[in-house]
Amino acid sequence: MSSSYLVHAITDKAAHIWRYTSWKKAHPTGSIEDIPESNSPEISISLVDGKSIPEGISIDEATDLDIERLGHELDFDNGTAAPKFISAVVPKVYKFSIKDKLKIESPLLVKITTTGDICTVRLLIDIGNQVEAEIITIIEGDAKWTGILREGKYGANSIVNDVVTQITGSRLLRCDALSLGRDAQVKAGTVNASSSQAKIDIRHWLSEPGSSLKVNGSILSSNQDHLDSHIEITHTGRETHSRLEWHSACGGKSNTTGTGMLRIDAGAKGADAGQLFHNLLLSKKAKANSIPELEVLESEVVGCGHGTANGPLDEQQLFYLSTRGFDEHQARAALIAAFLNTPLSDMGSQQLHGWLIERIENHLNTI
Amino acid sequence: MGNLPLLKIEGLEASIDDTMILKGINLEILPGEVHAVMGRNGSGKSTTAHVLMGHPDYEVVNGSVQLNGEDLLEMEAFERARAGVFLSFQYPHSVPGLQVGNFLRRSVSAIRGEEAAKGAEFRNLLKEGMEQLGLDRSFLSRYVNDGFSGGEKKRFEILQMMLIKPKLAILDETDSGLDIDGIRTVAQGVDAAIRGSNSGALIITHYNRILEHVKPDKIHVLIDGKIVKSGGPELANKLEEKGYDWVEQEVMDNE
Repeated sequence: MSSSYLVHAITDKAAHIWRYTSWKKAHPTGSIEDIPESNSPEISISLVDGKSIPEGISIDEATDLDIERLGHELDFDNGTAAPKFISAVVPKVYKFSIKDKLKIESPLLVKITTTGDICTVRLLIDIGNQVEAEIITIIEGDAKWTGILREGKYGANSIVNDVVTQITGSRLLRCDALSLGRDAQVKAGTVNASSSQAKIDIRHWLSEPGSSLKVNGSILSSNQDHLDSHIEITHTGRETHSRLEWHSACGGKSNTTGTGMLRIDAGAKGADAGQLFHNLLLSKKAKANSIPELEVLESEVVGCGHGTANGPLDEQQLFYLSTRGFDEHQARAALIAAFLNTPLSDMGSQQLHGWLIERIENHLNTI
Repeated sequence: MGNLPLLKIEGLEASIDDTMILKGINLEILPGEVHAVMGRNGSGKSTTAHVLMGHPDYEVVNGSVQLNGEDLLEMEAFERARAGVFLSFQYPHSVPGLQVGNFLRRSVSAIRGEEAAKGAEFRNLLKEGMEQLGLDRSFLSRYVNDGFSGGEKKRFEILQMMLIKPKLAILDETDSGLDIDGIRTVAQGVDAAIRGSNSGALIITHYNRILEHVKPDKIHVLIDGKIVKSGGPELANKLEEKGYDWVEQEVMDNE
């Protein structure tokens, strides 16, 4: 594994993925040839409503066969250094699976609790066919640097809302590589508030006909945070649909970047894709970059578009709230929460949304 | 309270971007009274409303405004709201991402205190208000003014007024964009909130339709930033019938 990483350790700084946060900066020690010791986090699963976990949901150590079946790490192109690095240092590889046709009434919490200087996990995700589930993955704990590699598949005809949150923590490297089965409907959410540094690389493949994907992000940066998110969606199947909506609220002296790549391969007839980045600038010294890109190799598509919008808090909205008794702090907090809530509310059920918004609002009150 | 005016405006002059809009407004509203300000476009009606509410774009150049004897001009907008001033906006702003139910609770809590925003009393008041205004329960989970029709926006402003229970309600062209049923409903809301209480209302409007339902105690005509004529409800009918030219002529004759 380590030799496999070292082949990819030297990266192209001009590549889209490394242009705003170099691999050297994202690497835990800053020496890219260094393959340090890593802790393994504790992982637990529970239901939001406190009931017992239904049969058919499990987290186990993965076998070589699982890795062969579910691993996507080689599909990261110019970004391969990061997943290869996590693969090289992880003490354990886990498989999280939900069996075919299981319908879970309450959101499922996957809690990843990190410890030590460096803590990494490789989590293979195996969602069965016709599963209906909401999954909230919480990254928490006191590790100074956390690396997470999530790879796998959502089964055919499954309906899955899959949200990953990091609301408290320090440095984060996260790589996702997930494929959608035929007619799968997936909402993939990311909530990140207060990572001091994050390099997030999320990739989805719509390889089978009829699959539908929504990728939503609510990102809050403050102080001197440096948050860099790269989202790639590749359509190879016919009649596939995707939307990306990424909201970043940027305060303090933080630097936030969002890069997107929508790729429609030849043969993906009837594909429909769109991406939108919104940045809310909360201070004069905060910086936000949004770079959406398209690569369309098929002529018979329904649509493929992209856009960005940047701006400060709206003075008229602030005045409106002040006429309703909100002082300046309350009005600003309400507008930031509202901005982050727009993609949050589209990540899943009311129960899931309520769980997320409560934590975001609690966090906003602490900063 | 005796004869202490609820609202007392003296010699109010205000500008925006160095352009003088209000050129000396004088007005007194007693507790329980409803006054209306009428005038052509650009006469300063909405500016009056925004200056009273403390919009930061306007600069008060001269004059004083007191609410129950307290200097309103010294207060920030949120302090004026907490002191009892409510502005129903002509064009309410949308806040995507902020749910109506959450917003109402927080607003009532900020203005009337935490206790007023929880429990059965709040829920009943909300339910009654929504029923009266013809708003469906699903309205609470929508985002503030986001995608609302013109009528829904105005009804939502009145719902807020009913929950906040202000001392002074300023209705800036709340009747525009409403059908006749909507105007009647809004008028009932104003009557319920103001009549028989120590509160008061200032209705800013182009037309006398809403005034036929609310029945104001006094009508004021605003021309070029000044109140040039005041009278009883019959003045609204005369303005509706004859327009503003005769008032302007009177002003010129008196100069």
